[in-house]
Amino acid sequence: MAEPGEWTGTIGRVVLGATKGEGGTRSVQYCIGGSRDLPFLPDEAPCGRRPLIALEICDDPALWPAVVKEYIGALADDPAAWAREAERTFGADLVRLHLTSTHRRQAPDLDTVGKTVEAVLAATTLPLIIEGSGDPALDSEVFRRCGEAGAGERLLLGTAEADRYRSIAAAALAYGHAVIAQSPIDINLAKQMNILLREIGVPADRIVIDPYTGALGYGFEYSYSVMERIRYAALMGDTDLAMPVLSAAPDSLTVKEVRDAPPAERQERALSWEFHAAFPAAVAGADIVCVRHPLSVKRLRDACAALTPGGKGTPVQGGG
Amino acid sequence: MALKALDIYKLLPKKNCKECGFPTCLTFAMKLASGKADPDTCPYLDEATKHLLKGATRPPIRRVKIGVGERSFAIGEEIVLFRHDKSFVHPPGILFQVPDLQTAEEIRRVASRVKDEVFPRVGELLRVNGIAIRNDSGSPETFGKAVRVVEETAEFPEVLIAGSPASMEAALAECGNYRPLIHAATAENHGAMCALAKRSGAPLVVKARGIDALQELAATCEAAGVQDLVLDPAPETTCEFLQTATMIRRMALARTAPELGYPVYLDATVPGREEATLSLGILKYASVIVTTPREPASLLPALTLRQNIYTDPQKPIQMTPGIYRVNNPAPGDPLLLTVNFSLTYFTLLGYLESSRIPCFLLLVDTEGFSVLTAVASGKLNENLIRDSLQRFGVEAETGHRILVLPGYAAPLSGRVEEATGWKVLVGPRDAAEVPEFLEQSWKKAAPGGSPGPAPGP
Ligand code: B12
Ligand code: SF4
Repeated sequence: MAEPGEWTGTIGRVVLGATKGEGGTRSVQYCIGGSRDLPFLPDEAPCGRRPLIALEICDDPALWPAVVKEYIGALADDPAAWAREAERTFGADLVRLHLTSTHRRQAPDLDTVGKTVEAVLAATTLPLIIEGSGDPALDSEVFRRCGEAGAGERLLLGTAEADRYRSIAAAALAYGHAVIAQSPIDINLAKQMNILLREIGVPADRIVIDPYTGALGYGFEYSYSVMERIRYAALMGDTDLAMPVLSAAPDSLTVKEVRDAPPAERQERALSWEFHAAFPAAVAGADIVCVRHPLSVKRLRDACAALTPGGKGTPVQGGG
Repeated sequence: MALKALDIYKLLPKKNCKECGFPTCLTFAMKLASGKADPDTCPYLDEATKHLLKGATRPPIRRVKIGVGERSFAIGEEIVLFRHDKSFVHPPGILFQVPDLQTAEEIRRVASRVKDEVFPRVGELLRVNGIAIRNDSGSPETFGKAVRVVEETAEFPEVLIAGSPASMEAALAECGNYRPLIHAATAENHGAMCALAKRSGAPLVVKARGIDALQELAATCEAAGVQDLVLDPAPETTCEFLQTATMIRRMALARTAPELGYPVYLDATVPGREEATLSLGILKYASVIVTTPREPASLLPALTLRQNIYTDPQKPIQMTPGIYRVNNPAPGDPLLLTVNFSLTYFTLLGYLESSRIPCFLLLVDTEGFSVLTAVASGKLNENLIRDSLQRFGVEAETGHRILVLPGYAAPLSGRVEEATGWKVLVGPRDAAEVPEFLEQSWKKAAPGGSPGPAPGP
């Protein structure tokens, strides 16, 4: 067990979002990573560190959690307005747009997808994460359109997996974006995924690891431990794992315990279920934590503030 | 520092006389090294060597038991910093705090919740462990009364929180034999608190802010003869707790500071931050956590987190493979195949039970992997299914040869039909849709079977 000061590795940095100065239109730029110790220990980062909180939204809410739709009402059908509220009302650091319209059986209208990305970019000044189709057959076209629509904005594109990563990597390289590299809860697969991306030219400072997060009670313990292992390996000097980590447990709001909760308790149960995976993910070292319920954003932000006292730890802004 | 078996062996008399109960001095040394023997059992050791061996061979974090009887719980004995290194051992006790200024009725209400509220989850019962009574009144009499109210409700572990030895004495008079946790010995009162702890045989929390002060006070209480200690680093912020608790765990495991080799206490009742502090305490090394009485909506997720973090990473919670009968099935009723991962079984069972449809469940041995994980890894395959059908004599029970596979196992269906000769029906992916599927599809597929809800109980 290495002691503080004995680690040989440092987590690499990734820059997200581009302000006017950097050729984009975002109001803020984040630089994530840079940690030199276990999360929230005194030597961790030169300027403290608070994980970024991303609010997830989508362009087709058919399969989106009922508790969220109940809470946001009409916003669910207007991704641009939803994104605007994410910034102004809900207090998110990032917006993560899932292009769920591409999951439908009939071929999606790709022009609309490109327009949605543009509308969301116009509606919020926050840096964006954009999730593609999840379907290799559509991915290349979808990523080309989002990549193009967000050219110069330093988006974070998701999600590269072992059997589909070429088109996302191509879009990232062509338009200057970063990518999410996902693997199913396994440190070796995470490493392999990063190596694959590097081999086709994606530099380490454009990769964010998503080790896959199971919902609380549904595999979360494995995800928690794999995040700890990744951080540990990186600090011990494994550069193939020394990237910032993103955690999202998208099933949190649809688990049985939430679906079957008494109606009067359901919203609080949902929020608490989401919290008890999101906050532990931050404790395990996630640099970006994604949530779906708007009220989770502030709750998580306050909790993370409790770990970074003294006002330190706001993300580095304005340049890498 | 910890000693290796060979280092210990060098210190032993090497008589191989077996009086310690082990065949040779070397065996004894090996047992000592793994904490499974006591230096006292060798009659030929001098005091100095014994003392040295005791320091080096006791478990790095002492086991402490809180409460008596069925609801009592043990803490300590942790051996790793990260659960993936082996496993965390004793889940932290979570206790609801009540101020002694509350009315007897209010205290009784919280006590009843602690007594009765359980959340069954994947075959385990999740619950709060006990009550912490806090001497806000400063009065020994009020404190004693509050403790009596709790005592009258039920027998479960208690923490007695008072700075004044007089108050503590009054409370111990009510429950002293039940091993309540005494909170706390401080720089000011440790003499009296140690005396009370020794007299009642109850474990004692040592409270001091910062590692050095804590270490010193723990040493003082040890020297006063109290063995069962718990450490309260009295953090001012959640962050300070994380940092101090990590340091204590590290130093205890490295045995660089034997006075820190005790479980850690966390008061999570920080206004506005309780949820975060509770969550953090579960993850990072708290063994006793005191919170305000949280509502079930946010308590269940916290208890689930504790269950998750304290399961053995190498061994998912599993069921014994075999045939399980749901809602009293008879031959002809549907047969569903699933895996022996507890979470999968209990999720499915919940929906089947509430549907009242009688059926058989065949749990095959995927070593505790879920359906999707078992399919992805190849553990769930046609051979396993064929062997399980034979091994558990399934046909004799069901009287038919039709098997419902989980939706996620659909890719296997052809191969399963081939390997087993059984007819395969592919069910839905989501367990919530299984009852509806049985009502509709089984009827069509089964020869004479007509499942439907059984007549009410
Ligand atoms: C936790 C987890 C793990 C844990 C294991 C946990 C366990 N005990 O199984 C670990 C980390 C070990 C793991 C390992 C792997 N995993 Co994994 N894992 C998960 C995760 C996050 C949750 C699994 C879970 O607990 N589900 C909950 C249970 C209750 O679900 P279930 O058993 O399927 O039951 C449901 C239904 O099937 C249905 N049902 C059950 N029985 C029946 C019966 C009938 C008749 C019917 C009709 C329905 C039905 O009801 C249940 C509730 O709806 C999933 C993602 C996910 N969200 O599912 C990935 C996931 C299953 N894993 C995946 C993979 C690839 C793997 C690995 C192969 C990767 C690797 N590391 O090598 C390994 C395989 C194991 C090995 N190494 O041998 C992939 C599978 C991809 C695919 N679609 O094939 C997933 C989907 C993640 C992903 N998106 O990439 N995993
Ligand atoms: S009693 Fe002492 S001397 Fe005898 S075998 Fe045991 S360790 Fe050796």
